[in-house]
Amino acid sequence: MASTLIRRIGIAGLAIVALGAGLYFGMRDQVPAPELVAAAAINGLALPDADGKERRIDEWRGKVVVINFWATWCAPCREEMPEFMKAQREFGSKGLQFVGIAVDQPDKAKQYVAEIELNYPTLVGGFGAMELSKTLGNTLMALPFTVVLDRKGAVAHTQLGVFKPDKLDAIVKQLL
Amino acid sequence: MASPATSTGSTPKRPHADWRAFVAAGCFLAAASAVGADPKLLPPEQAFRFSARALDDRTVEARFAVEDGYYLYRDKLKFAVEPTVVAIAPPDLPAGKVKEDPFFGRVETYRGDVVVRLPLAKAVAGQSIVLAADSQGCADLGVCYPVNRQQVTLAMPAAGKGPGPVVEAYPRKKNWFN
Repeated sequence: MASTLIRRIGIAGLAIVALGAGLYFGMRDQVPAPELVAAAAINGLALPDADGKERRIDEWRGKVVVINFWATWCAPCREEMPEFMKAQREFGSKGLQFVGIAVDQPDKAKQYVAEIELNYPTLVGGFGAMELSKTLGNTLMALPFTVVLDRKGAVAHTQLGVFKPDKLDAIVKQLL
Repeated sequence: MASPATSTGSTPKRPHADWRAFVAAGCFLAAASAVGADPKLLPPEQAFRFSARALDDRTVEARFAVEDGYYLYRDKLKFAVEPTVVAIAPPDLPAGKVKEDPFFGRVETYRGDVVVRLPLAKAVAGQSIVLAADSQGCADLGVCYPVNRQQVTLAMPAAGKGPGPVVEAYPRKKNWFN
């Protein structure tokens, strides 16, 4: 009598576990993780560059892509850009690609890009780009904000504030 | 020769040694995580708290309480009022701290409390107005915020009365200490 009861409780327990596992794995396929949604959004992003030509982030797929959200009104952004130019020169041939996204007016961004002779492309996103950065973890929507994508397009690192050269160096070298 | 029944070098275990070690380890971990943690930054409406009050039926006093470690650019402060028929006359902004910025040249910045007196184009005794303030600033940690708009609704006092109460755009949350 008691053994039958124990057997029934055991079967009911197994059924609950099976139901939970089924729901978990079933839902897992239907509801992608937020980081995957954000990575898909950044990879599929299409914006005009400083010359007005539309560019897509996934055109650099296969490279380690460092996406830097910046603006001309942001002093720390201007401060770190020469370091990015230096890293682009040093590691560009090994598969590193910097891409700027200016949260700014197109004419101001274009003027500054020419002024410092930026050696990597920059797209112009306006404030909508800031909203995108929010999905990547920039909840304060502040600048500078930088996202590192690995060669498969997955988000490997995000950085709010100035990216210290030694930290950038270590992260990039690991991915190249 | 019989040896005396004394300790042979190892100290006897005290009853509280285990929990003391546990607390010490906890303190160490807390300190280590504090050192390694990313700097905590405030959202702009908390870093640059905006409030205002009516001084009389045609004058408003606007205030920014800038948190330690943050600053506002003087030339980015802008005010607007609704209804627009009571437009603000050009405000007399207080002098800021002058600094030579390597990128922007001579700039003036505000830290601490910034108080600006805003004269309205005409009296609006007993009416409500909406005062909007645009500001832009940065944190000393090396992060800048885009232009941020905050606004308050003020009930203007009757003619000859005032000042009205201070109205905060984002009131501080109450806690056990206030």
